[in-house]
Amino acid sequence: MTGTVLVVGGGPAGLRAAVDLADFGARVLLVEKRDQLGGAPVRWKYRSLAPDFTPTEEVMGPLIGFCESSPMVEVHKGSVVEGCEGSVGDFTVKVRNEADGTTTEHRVSSVIVATGFEHFDASVDPRYAYGRAPNVIGINELEAMLKEGRVVGHDGRPPKRVAFIFCVGSRDRSTNPWCCTVCCGVSIKQAIEMKQTLGDVQVYMIYMDIRTVGLWEKLYWDSMEKYGINYIRGRVGEVYYTGEKLLVKGEDTLVRGPFEVLFDMVVLAVGIEPGPGTKQAAGVLGLKLNEYGFIAPRQPNVHVDSGRDGIFLAGTCIAPMSIEETLSEGSAAAMQAAKVLKKTVAV
Amino acid sequence: MAAEERKKEEKGRFIAERRYVDDQRIVEPEKLEAGGVDMSGRWGTLVLPRTIEEFDHSLFEGVKRLPRGGKVGKCWQCGNCTAVCPVAHANPMFNPRYLIHIVRMGYQAEIEKVKDYVYLCSGCGLCSAACPKDVDPQGVMIALSIAFKSGRAKGGR
Ligand SMILES: Cc1cc2nc3c(=O)[nH]c(=O)nc-3n(C[C@H](O)[C@H](O)[C@H](O)COP(=O)(O)OP(=O)(O)OC[C@H]3O[C@@H](n4cnc5c(N)ncnc54)[C@H](O)[C@@H]3O)c2cc1C
Ligand code: SF4
Ligand code: SF4
Repeated sequence: MTGTVLVVGGGPAGLRAAVDLADFGARVLLVEKRDQLGGAPVRWKYRSLAPDFTPTEEVMGPLIGFCESSPMVEVHKGSVVEGCEGSVGDFTVKVRNEADGTTTEHRVSSVIVATGFEHFDASVDPRYAYGRAPNVIGINELEAMLKEGRVVGHDGRPPKRVAFIFCVGSRDRSTNPWCCTVCCGVSIKQAIEMKQTLGDVQVYMIYMDIRTVGLWEKLYWDSMEKYGINYIRGRVGEVYYTGEKLLVKGEDTLVRGPFEVLFDMVVLAVGIEPGPGTKQAAGVLGLKLNEYGFIAPRQPNVHVDSGRDGIFLAGTCIAPMSIEETLSEGSAAAMQAAKVLKKTVAV
Repeated sequence: MAAEERKKEEKGRFIAERRYVDDQRIVEPEKLEAGGVDMSGRWGTLVLPRTIEEFDHSLFEGVKRLPRGGKVGKCWQCGNCTAVCPVAHANPMFNPRYLIHIVRMGYQAEIEKVKDYVYLCSGCGLCSAACPKDVDPQGVMIALSIAFKSGRAKGGR
């Protein structure tokens, strides 16, 4: 019997699970595919987190710091899990370092899968001219600009008029039919930060519905009432680069009015989708994917339960969700692993 | 008055499928000259596109500065005001929610079409009691009527 838990994925969910288990007294084997811990918030350099503009470091820093320094956590970066045999209480897993190709074998009591998501690649949908026209960027790319405090177009000049287009690669039969749940709130957070950074800028949110659920609704109210951000209900049919500006074609459905208006910058609220890392981990661990490619829990209301004894799930590899939810899921999965340890390791 | 009426009826009479086009979008200059040639009459008739080509918030900013218009920026277009408005139930051309939106976005042709209906507001205040965002639409209707009268409706197109 072994007292170690394998955590696959070093984003918010995996880090939270690792910290909780180590605090609890268990050893953790943390396997992260990239060369950096922190998941999406660190990779894409989020400036701050919705809904309260908390600096990203405040939330992610302590988790990363703990895992990097704790003797209870063995971190394997640039690595993936290649094989998994055995059963609950005694799995044997192979971890391969992708840089040097070396493989190590480990015995673990249980496994937590927290392989996260990828942003929707907007170049897949030609409507938005992403990748073809300058100054069409994703919310993931805008985060880094905001963090630097320098929001400019390709000519180095700050934009005077910006359109955010909601639900890009979300709620759309031709791409992904689900809702990414956070991108409304994240886009509004960014629009406010853009106003704070640039001052003299007109911002237009082109939306179908505003889904700032729960306490995130405050972002929506503040954006209108304190920052004068404009909302246009509709969906964009085409973005066209005139050689100087971006012509955005859509309809203001509140007035039955087609519009074609010029903008300096277009920001796409790209959605959340399952990435290749999730598929890889599910394959190795023998987990089922749902029709969308997310990992399917045994029962949709109980996320932690993968359907395989001793393998638990957490975070956006199951469904789109916010960081506040992701962190709780990490803790919930850690609890399941702790229960297995209690049963199998001599007390 | 009779002459005025006739003029309205004759407006754009040369346009094929005349019924497709709003009155407000037809421009007929009295005199039109191009390259020294007199183009007055039917050749000078212009049909402005229906497409919105600009957002112009100047009128809206003016309304915000009027005594009872200050909270108009909070409106999120839910339509609660129109739902309870007795006038809107009687006349579809009067719609407080709609008036607020077209003024906010500066849809000039739409404003021209419906602005005179703002005076139908009875001042009953039912809308302001119902509004979930504390916009005070009743007050906004007063502010709009002042703004339209003072010619501030003439922003950009
Ligand atoms: C632009 C944008 C802004 C956002 N801003 C906010 C915000 O302000 N507030 C908020 O609450 N939420 C925000 N979110 C949502 C937030 O990013 C997610 O909730 C959170 O990152 C999910 O954490 P996770 O651990 O599930 O996944 P991830 O952050 O994706 O982390 C997963 C990790 O697993 C690794 N991995 C993947 N596959 C494997 C594998 N096979 N083997 C090993 N490792 C693997 C990945 O490299 C990654 O490091 C935002 C999302 C977007 C799209
Ligand atoms: S105050 Fe005017 S707009 Fe408001 S409900 Fe009464 S009539 Fe309608
Ligand atoms: S009820 Fe208030 S918020 Fe709703 S449309 Fe009317 S004025 Fe706007």
